[in-house]
Amino acid sequence: MTRPIRLAILGCGAITRNEHVPSVIAHPGVELVALVDAEPSRAQTIIQNRGLTSKAIADFREVFGRVDAVINALPNHIHASSNQECLRAGLHILCEKPLAITSTDAKACADLAEEKGLVLAVGMNRRFTASHPLLKLVMNEGLLGTIQSSDFQYGGAFDWRSATGFYFDRAKAGGGVLVDFGVHMLDSVLDSFGPITAFDYQDDDWGSGVEANLLLDVKHSGRYGDVPGHLRISRTFALRNSLLVQGSVATAEISAENTEVVVIHRKIAGAAVSQTLQFENFPGTTSYGRQLDDFISSIVTHSKPEVDGRQAIQTLELVESCYAHKRRIPEPWAELTPARSGAGA
Amino acid sequence: MNWRDQTVFVTGATGFIGGRVCERMMQAGVPKIRALVHGMHRAARIARLPVELCPGDLQEPESLKNALGDAKVVIHCGLGPASTIVRGTENMLAVALDAGVQRFIHVSTAAVYGITPPPGSENEDAPVRRTGDPYCDNKAAAEKIVLDYGKRGLPVVILRPSIVWGPYSAWNTRLMEDLRAGHVAFVAGGKGACNTTYVDNLVDAMVLGLENEGALGQTFFITDGERISWGDFIGAHAALLNPAPAVAEVSQAEIDASRGDRSGLLMGSVKATARLARSKEFRQMLTQIPVTDVAMKKAWNWVGSLPPQKRDKLRARFGVRCPKPAAANVKFIPDEVTVATQNATVFFSIDKARKVLGYEPRIRFLEGMRLVEQWLRFAAYL
Repeated sequence: MTRPIRLAILGCGAITRNEHVPSVIAHPGVELVALVDAEPSRAQTIIQNRGLTSKAIADFREVFGRVDAVINALPNHIHASSNQECLRAGLHILCEKPLAITSTDAKACADLAEEKGLVLAVGMNRRFTASHPLLKLVMNEGLLGTIQSSDFQYGGAFDWRSATGFYFDRAKAGGGVLVDFGVHMLDSVLDSFGPITAFDYQDDDWGSGVEANLLLDVKHSGRYGDVPGHLRISRTFALRNSLLVQGSVATAEISAENTEVVVIHRKIAGAAVSQTLQFENFPGTTSYGRQLDDFISSIVTHSKPEVDGRQAIQTLELVESCYAHKRRIPEPWAELTPARSGAGA
Repeated sequence: MNWRDQTVFVTGATGFIGGRVCERMMQAGVPKIRALVHGMHRAARIARLPVELCPGDLQEPESLKNALGDAKVVIHCGLGPASTIVRGTENMLAVALDAGVQRFIHVSTAAVYGITPPPGSENEDAPVRRTGDPYCDNKAAAEKIVLDYGKRGLPVVILRPSIVWGPYSAWNTRLMEDLRAGHVAFVAGGKGACNTTYVDNLVDAMVLGLENEGALGQTFFITDGERISWGDFIGAHAALLNPAPAVAEVSQAEIDASRGDRSGLLMGSVKATARLARSKEFRQMLTQIPVTDVAMKKAWNWVGSLPPQKRDKLRARFGVRCPKPAAANVKFIPDEVTVATQNATVFFSIDKARKVLGYEPRIRFLEGMRLVEQWLRFAAYL
């Protein structure tokens, strides 16, 4: 039996506490050696609550030589520098999205990983929901007919209890909802429909803030030809929360309520019907667990992970293009005509 | 002092009114806006603006000092649970006085006269009375402290809006949700006084309070100045839906009859305990205990993941915002607070605000509804 992969988790915020630690604990091929956080009490709290024997460490460099791999869940703006230090120390990395806050930095990480022959996986856990490969199967097998368009909506009141609040700092987060949740959706549609060759992007950043809402119209040019797509994401409003793929004979839907199934909507003799598809045997129980398993397997078998640095660069380049060509979403309710009285603020 | 050259500090900035204040201050071109943020996760709306998000808690004076920074203008929209309103306001006042703040706008409420204001409370000089409602009584007590600080040299202005509506207001969004769910009824024939205050009219009044020396130490009702009834307000929202839902009238006799089954010591106690457990204040207290915070978050996530019908059924069972399921053959009876709110007969006078502040409501009801409709469509309520 091979020895377990010795692992440290960098950053002990909400995603580590809620997702990574449970996945790592449940994985038989991993030994959680250390939890790292600049505020060691955060690491210590997780260790105590979970009854772990892992060490709480303040500086991630202290794990060098003691672990084989890290999960990097530090704030976005230090992903690139910490990734590169870890790679130079010979560590495999599963980095939370985004890999970096610029595509240039992401490329530096991907190049270094390849040079060192190390695994650099990027945390796109939605790829590991059963519905994602199932939708691709449904489209490839022609169950929808010709693919005509996609409409992806995801929104709700922001409630992510970030330990540091970096999400609302453009310099630290790299942007707003586009770089936060949007990269998941972009990764999904890029993987499903192919490269984006044209887009129109709008968001509601009033200037040097971070956007809470975005509207993105795209054109994919991939294996299904030219497919128009629409994405809407919100941190302030509840939306439909599903991906709809319109085909010539049926529509497929992946709902955020159940990411393990694909629902096919179609008409039979004029009557609207729906059919729920799911894999009878799909390994693992959570997307984070499957993502970790993919990462560990890549290390053990010296193979590419499902989402590697090169794919992350493609997504980040698109994010940068969106920001560079953005238009402001019109908010006529917020633009007032001058006051009749002196209250002209 | 020209407030447009000053750093403006906004409490309650992650809320509906405070959020709009930040937007308007930015549009007015103030050099810096500092926003007090208690829960950073609630800051998505104002994080779109070039606003400094300043962590702090109205219950912790030291945090307020840091958050206030060099600001000389304070717009106090902050609230917190009802029981902490007075202490939080006093903390903010003390820090502001120490820091030499030059204008303190206190956002109070017309509800200092209760949810159903008594006849005679049309003008600001009517005596404030205790009503037994924690929110109303604590807001009334906070006003007194604000005036005390005014006498001690802090330049204060008190504004009393009523039903503050507009984009992001729960008065609008909950009403739309309730209309869709069939959980709306006209009480008192829909003739009750609604006393709308469009949020931008309120911000206009704040600005006038900043500019007008005559406003110092004074209290002003701020409404839209129109005699909008609850029937008008609810009807205008119902008309946005297609098809527009029919809103039934409920008589006082029907309301009394529906309350009849609440008698009895045991059942009364059980229901009172359930009401306590459902109260926002109690839930906020629970979130301070890490284990219950996690458990509650998981529970809410689970509830949120349920299909709408199941979710409504569950909510109805626990009485969360829908005391009676709106079955086709069962008449919906609103809860006590809604009944009391719709039973209002007093229209507050804005004569004093007009005279002293030069206030004139910029947004009339129909214009406000037009803006709200645009926003509701964008926010996916329509």
